[in-house]
Amino acid sequence: MVDKVIEIPVSVEIPVGPQHPALHEPVLLKAYADGEVVVKVEVNTGYNHRGIEKLLEVNSFYKDIFIVGRVCGICNTVHTNVYVRALEQILGVEPCRRARYLRVLAMELERIHSHMLINAVMAEVIGFDTLFMNIMLDREKVMKAKELLTGGRVMADYMMVGGVRRDLSDEDAGRLARIISSVRERLEYYKKVFEEDITIGKRLVNVGVLKRRDAVSHSLLGPVARGSGVRIDARVSDKYDAYDELKPEVVVRDEGDSWARMMVRWGEALISADLSLRVLQSLPRDCNPVPDEKKLPRKLPAGEAYTRVEAPRGELTYFVMSDGGVNPYRVKIRTPSFTNIINSAFLYEGYTIADLPVILASLDPCISCMERALVTDLKTGSRKVIPFTELSRGGGKWGSRGYYLQ
Amino acid sequence: MGKPRLLPSVVKNLTLKPATIQYPYVRTEVEASFRGRHYADLQKCTGCSLCAIECPADAIVMYQIPAGFQAPKINPRRIFPRIDYGRCVFCYRCVAVCPFNAYVTTNFYELAGPRKNDSVELSLKTLKGERSVS
Repeated sequence: MVDKVIEIPVSVEIPVGPQHPALHEPVLLKAYADGEVVVKVEVNTGYNHRGIEKLLEVNSFYKDIFIVGRVCGICNTVHTNVYVRALEQILGVEPCRRARYLRVLAMELERIHSHMLINAVMAEVIGFDTLFMNIMLDREKVMKAKELLTGGRVMADYMMVGGVRRDLSDEDAGRLARIISSVRERLEYYKKVFEEDITIGKRLVNVGVLKRRDAVSHSLLGPVARGSGVRIDARVSDKYDAYDELKPEVVVRDEGDSWARMMVRWGEALISADLSLRVLQSLPRDCNPVPDEKKLPRKLPAGEAYTRVEAPRGELTYFVMSDGGVNPYRVKIRTPSFTNIINSAFLYEGYTIADLPVILASLDPCISCMERALVTDLKTGSRKVIPFTELSRGGGKWGSRGYYLQ
Repeated sequence: MGKPRLLPSVVKNLTLKPATIQYPYVRTEVEASFRGRHYADLQKCTGCSLCAIECPADAIVMYQIPAGFQAPKINPRRIFPRIDYGRCVFCYRCVAVCPFNAYVTTNFYELAGPRKNDSVELSLKTLKGERSVS
């Protein structure tokens, strides 16, 4: 008589990543699936270790301003801003109001285009390629605005100790306001699309639900935490630069699913557009915001500073230590993606393989987006490479949710 | 949940020009103040090498003015910055730190290509009396 049956599920190991050129940092998600359901996800990182913190120690304080901007292309303005503010704290320099307003303008433009990018990527991941192209087309307007303001479409190189690196003329301010107004209309439209479209709703709603207590206990940051009802925003709590006067509104949603995270991003992009318009209307004229880079002190006094900034992906912190020399003694960077991606492996459990890229995209990973996946059947040992888009769209034998098979 | 009204968008898009451009034939418009290719004006450059020291990408190497060119008196060592555009990140730190404002800035951005790409030719063109001495 058989009185015990031990059922061993056929587990499939799916390494997702680690390489793809579309997004920035490569990461490997090793997903274990029982049939269609993901039972465990391991996050492997370290594929993109470039030794930037060490590089910062062997270069001068001012060279480092341009090196920290290259940590992440999408968030380069916030990286330089938080580093420059750390240097200003060590030096005891305070930039004037016009410079602080211009810094806010550059950072809010960056927030708009970052949020548009990840929403476009999300549309692509769920198979809505037309929406992807439409959002990317309108994102070009923001890139143009950034080019007008900073002189570079992506790499702004805009922050400098004591101010910003170029001023904004009244004519350009008018052009910027017109561009941002037209982008704002489109942002409203896209927000409506994400609210009303049936396909988006079916793929995003109730997928990757993150409870408020999990978001807090796993130290998740930025729109991921705000999508789960956690009111966390360094702009409001730290009031750096001109945020003490501008007082941005914090967008919080309570649903906690992938859809809520994307809607938080649309809401924030709209508020950023409003904030940018307010900056342009009330741009102070108290001083010349451009410091003379030739006259800045080459050596910084000994001291340390710890600064934070609200990057598009969450709270970004820098610790800078100076020993009185030309180079910093130590620079420690903590990026929001680090906590959001590594601590969120529990989010995927219980959802299907097709939901995996949706959940990952909803976390706004600053990592490589996945195009191909290697599927290993542990029972037979056979391996098969399939395009990840096929996985995410539920095609073929990996079809799960079946919306595209009807 | 209702569907976004598609018909007005479809009609509007039929009358619009395509969003894409035929790139090599139609240029992408960039601002006059876009940070593009820059080079040293050798009438102003003194060869002080500050830009080479300050370059975050190590893209600038000081280069000897070839024998056939007349260097101005302010540049006794006859050296000038050679910018390797393949390494340059176009941060314009060199432009900002130059004590003599010797850098000429342009918005030229089409720098990808198989040829060796540096600023030697452009800088030497700014010298008067090109190849005047043998």
